[in-house]
Amino acid sequence: MTSSSKLPFQATALRWPALAAVAVFGLSACSVANSDSAGGGAADTVRVVLGQEPPTLEACESNLTSTGVVVRSNVTEPLIERNPQSGELEPKLATEWKATSNTEWTLKLREGVNFQDGTPFNAEAAAFTIDRAVNSKLGCNVEGYVFGDADLDVKAVDATTLTVTTPEPDPILPLRLSFLEVVPTSTSTTEKVREPIGTGPYKIDSWDAGQKISLSSWDGYWGDKPAYAKAEYQWRSESSVRAAMITSGEADVAMGLSPDDNIGDLGVDYPNNETVALRMDANEAPLNDIRIRQAVNFAIDKEGIVNSLYQGKHQVAAQLVPEGIVGHNSGLKGWPFDLEKAKSLVAEAKADGVDTAKQISLVVRSAQFPKITELAQVLQEQLSQAGLNVKLKMLETSQHLTYQVRPFAEDEGAVALMTQHGNQAGDAAFTVDQYMLSTGAQSYFGTPEFDAMIRKADAASGDARQKAFEEIFAYQNDKVVQFAHISHQTGILGKAKSVSYTPNSSSGDELRISEMTPAS
Amino acid sequence: MTSSLTDGAAPEGQEERQPAGQPPTRNAPDFRDGQPGLFRLLLKDRFAAVAAFVLLLVGLTALVGPALMGDLATKQNLLFANKAPFTMAHGWEYFLGSDSLGRSMLARLVVASRTTLSVALPAVAVALLIGSLWGVWAGYHRGWRENVSMRVADVIMSFPSLLLAVVVLYVFSPSAANIVLILALTRIPIYLRTARAESAELQSRTFVDAARTFGAKPNAIIFRHVIPVVLPTLLTLATLEFCYVMLAESSLSFLGIGIQPPDVSWGLMVSQGRQYLQTAWWLSIFPGVAIVVTTIAANVLAAWLRIATDPAQRWRLALPRKRLIARIPAKEAQP
Amino acid sequence: MLTYLRKRIISSALPLVVVVVGVFALARMTGNPASLYLPLNATQQMRDDFTARNGLDQPLLVQMADYFGGVLRLDFGQSLRTGQDAAAMALRAFPATLQLAATTMVLAVVLAVIVGCWAALKPNGVADRISSFISMAAASIPDFWLAIVGIWIFAITLGWVPTSGVSGASAWVLPIATLLLRPFGVLVQIVRGSMVSALSEPYIKLARSRGAGELRVVTHHALRNAAAPALTVAGDLTVGLVNGAVVVETIFGWPGIGKLMIDSILQRDFAVLQAAVLLTAVAIFALNILIDMGYALLDARVRPVTVKA
Repeated sequence: MTSSSKLPFQATALRWPALAAVAVFGLSACSVANSDSAGGGAADTVRVVLGQEPPTLEACESNLTSTGVVVRSNVTEPLIERNPQSGELEPKLATEWKATSNTEWTLKLREGVNFQDGTPFNAEAAAFTIDRAVNSKLGCNVEGYVFGDADLDVKAVDATTLTVTTPEPDPILPLRLSFLEVVPTSTSTTEKVREPIGTGPYKIDSWDAGQKISLSSWDGYWGDKPAYAKAEYQWRSESSVRAAMITSGEADVAMGLSPDDNIGDLGVDYPNNETVALRMDANEAPLNDIRIRQAVNFAIDKEGIVNSLYQGKHQVAAQLVPEGIVGHNSGLKGWPFDLEKAKSLVAEAKADGVDTAKQISLVVRSAQFPKITELAQVLQEQLSQAGLNVKLKMLETSQHLTYQVRPFAEDEGAVALMTQHGNQAGDAAFTVDQYMLSTGAQSYFGTPEFDAMIRKADAASGDARQKAFEEIFAYQNDKVVQFAHISHQTGILGKAKSVSYTPNSSSGDELRISEMTPAS
Repeated sequence: MTSSLTDGAAPEGQEERQPAGQPPTRNAPDFRDGQPGLFRLLLKDRFAAVAAFVLLLVGLTALVGPALMGDLATKQNLLFANKAPFTMAHGWEYFLGSDSLGRSMLARLVVASRTTLSVALPAVAVALLIGSLWGVWAGYHRGWRENVSMRVADVIMSFPSLLLAVVVLYVFSPSAANIVLILALTRIPIYLRTARAESAELQSRTFVDAARTFGAKPNAIIFRHVIPVVLPTLLTLATLEFCYVMLAESSLSFLGIGIQPPDVSWGLMVSQGRQYLQTAWWLSIFPGVAIVVTTIAANVLAAWLRIATDPAQRWRLALPRKRLIARIPAKEAQP
Repeated sequence: MLTYLRKRIISSALPLVVVVVGVFALARMTGNPASLYLPLNATQQMRDDFTARNGLDQPLLVQMADYFGGVLRLDFGQSLRTGQDAAAMALRAFPATLQLAATTMVLAVVLAVIVGCWAALKPNGVADRISSFISMAAASIPDFWLAIVGIWIFAITLGWVPTSGVSGASAWVLPIATLLLRPFGVLVQIVRGSMVSALSEPYIKLARSRGAGELRVVTHHALRNAAAPALTVAGDLTVGLVNGAVVVETIFGWPGIGKLMIDSILQRDFAVLQAAVLLTAVAIFALNILIDMGYALLDARVRPVTVKA
């Protein structure tokens, strides 16, 4: 039986797929995937799953959540550390500090500490770190976030003494220093470093880009050896997949879960420091009338939102910072839900000639936190019921930023921006300076009197500082009304039964592996 | 592409393809010459009839549904969130359950059908129109026109549609019209390549040669002779594409760059409901089922139409059903 | 054949350039990414520094000239986000996607051929109707939904496979199964259709009457001629997979080029985006050439004519 065609070689149609199959399976044998088995890590390894891969582990970018969660207090350590529960500053690489003058602080550094590459930690390294992060041209994120434009004058007096001089009196300099993770003098000053060396309990073993980061404990650490010898970080963008990894035993700790991920009793709720609020642009009608802004506040049913969307776990907010932050005003009552009052305020403004039918854009960033889409729709509905014309605009991060930070997008009309703020530092100055000064990076407007109050509070210290900021928050709600606060959020951490760990308000920014122990 | 639902045993003297030398004519159901009308043919095939009915239902829902539902789809009731379906306890409007904001699932599905169809149908229609005409023209003329068209198709196909989507949707404005634009643009190459291939193959056929000899202009030849032959394949392709476009729309929603709330489409409902799969499965399953049912119905009907609009094949549908399945076993054919 | 190959490669060069230029221009239309990479309270000075440092203040043509100059030196720029070499990031991510796509397509083709032939043997019979329905349903399910349901059922409830990630052979199961369904569904219908046509051709009758066994009739005679349209569609689907496995990669944490592309789009990481698009486009053009050559090998009529001395 002859074949019906005359090909030079007897390649039938089926041989091609067969060849291709062999080639592909051969290729997969030398696959890009790790060949070690999935699930069931060693007993001395804690496996963490994050929401995204850190872009870098550079120490001076560690105030970025995605970087800091791996690096801070694991690979590197700061001079001074803030205790998230008590809010107090505690010694870490610096053992004591005091203000030797209005603008100068002197710190005594810990002895007997080495970096992971064997070089000793001393005042020179500390000075180098501060210089590199704050004064150099690297453009470190921590510089903008914590220190602003000001440069610091640092001097290593001797091997264990350091002086830091600020241009203006700064009572919270030690708190600011708690953001600087110390690196050795061998670190590059012209480029950012992807895998830093530090003094922390873990050193970076390997970073399989796109797949996982491995840390392991090392012998020369100055403090107590941590319970887990190794830590592995992976990342999955879907929160339900992160929850699934905990349930199926592929991971021990999962960050950023949502109430609907069905994590059950493997989930731990913790206050994560984030506050959600609407920020209103009083430069545009109709939001330029304070009655409209008050109406917005009255129209939002905060209790209802917290109970139905977040299962009652969040807390209704009256200000931008939660309890535990210096300056939090626990006496502040906040706006009750009163739809009738909202309607009457709007009607009043309308009667006075304010164009209440003008469109207000409710600008929201998609996927910023769990259930943000639902929250946005609820807000749009509730504000419409008060008689306002509100249009929902869901944007992705880059677009949203043009509304969030200066310079603001122009010609957008009246904007009510949904903003989520997490005060990592523990002091209200970090919030107020950004969000309430008339020139604040995330502030639409302010008043000269308010600005003066804020400057005074910035310079105060101790009890006077606390009182001053409490007054600022009260004044904001009373006279300025730039914000409609919604709630202080709680986060959900997924945790396997084999791990013992209690998350706190800074766990999202700084997940300390040394605080985790195997459950007995 | 030559897909058809015909059986394998071809009766004598007739080929699967258009017999050479016979010009295809625009089909017209015509009682006068003894051929049954399209509608009666439809009724004969139960599956196709059901499919047509389903599509009609979906179309009607999309047309009049939103008006009937009023504001039921947007009425929020936070205390009523995530109620389970299949119970009349809360009234007929909550028969399919309620979503995470307490809105009626039934109403949302109805309103979403309009958005989904108003994105999918225009996207397919525009891509079909532009891609087919362009491909047929390129295939007919061959030469540099064909080459350039094929390279343009390559460019469009390897262009990341995601980037295009993000740019168009965010630099211009996120709207259903822009989504239609992107979906249509990225699918044009499919029609282009298929139409060109078929048209190029037809170019050498006798009847086209004959028309050319008679002095017909290229455009006339294309419209009267080439397109009717190419059309059935393209229509089959279009229904497969309809399915793909609906899925692409839901993928865009998953990535956060599709239809934006407060608008609602089936794809967006599936995407938003995926967070609740374990606690409120109906949020994601019902719109998913809607997508699947609509696309299956479209495919079945298209397969049927493929035969019904091809004059050479139509006779098969008029046969009594039993004859359609008959097949001469190999053994019987041997002497 | 070689001259044809050479001609195709040359004629693919210009579209490649057009794609890269298009991506370049389109990406820069999305605005200045400074806000994404600078601290929130960055001053205007810091923004200007950033813009100048990355050459974003130059006119578009100057930027493009710089970029293509760099490409000729094999320098594709650096990632704004991670500081790494953009080409290195793209090259590292691409094999993951390629393996996924290739394995999926091979499986899809093999399964579709089997099911399609089986259905074509008895058109309109029970097997045919069932496989039609299943294949249509398979082609209609949203992939991310399928992925999440798959994780829920097979990873959590039954525990047969890991939920996600790339470690171990069993981690391939769910991603491939999710990606497989739609190409399988589409291909079954195509294969079935063309097999039915092929099986009704006269030469099949001839083969049968000469005593050929059914398997040989189907595979050697009918399938060869029915393969062409299936091959075209399979090729298109592979291209679609390479470009569009984004969703599966995102959900399963597969470090592929789709995820790299969507991340670099959302973070306006221009250099990485351009490198990733360039790499993908080259692969797609190569794939198209391979398909056309395969087409020519299968169907003698379409082969370019070569004159033998």
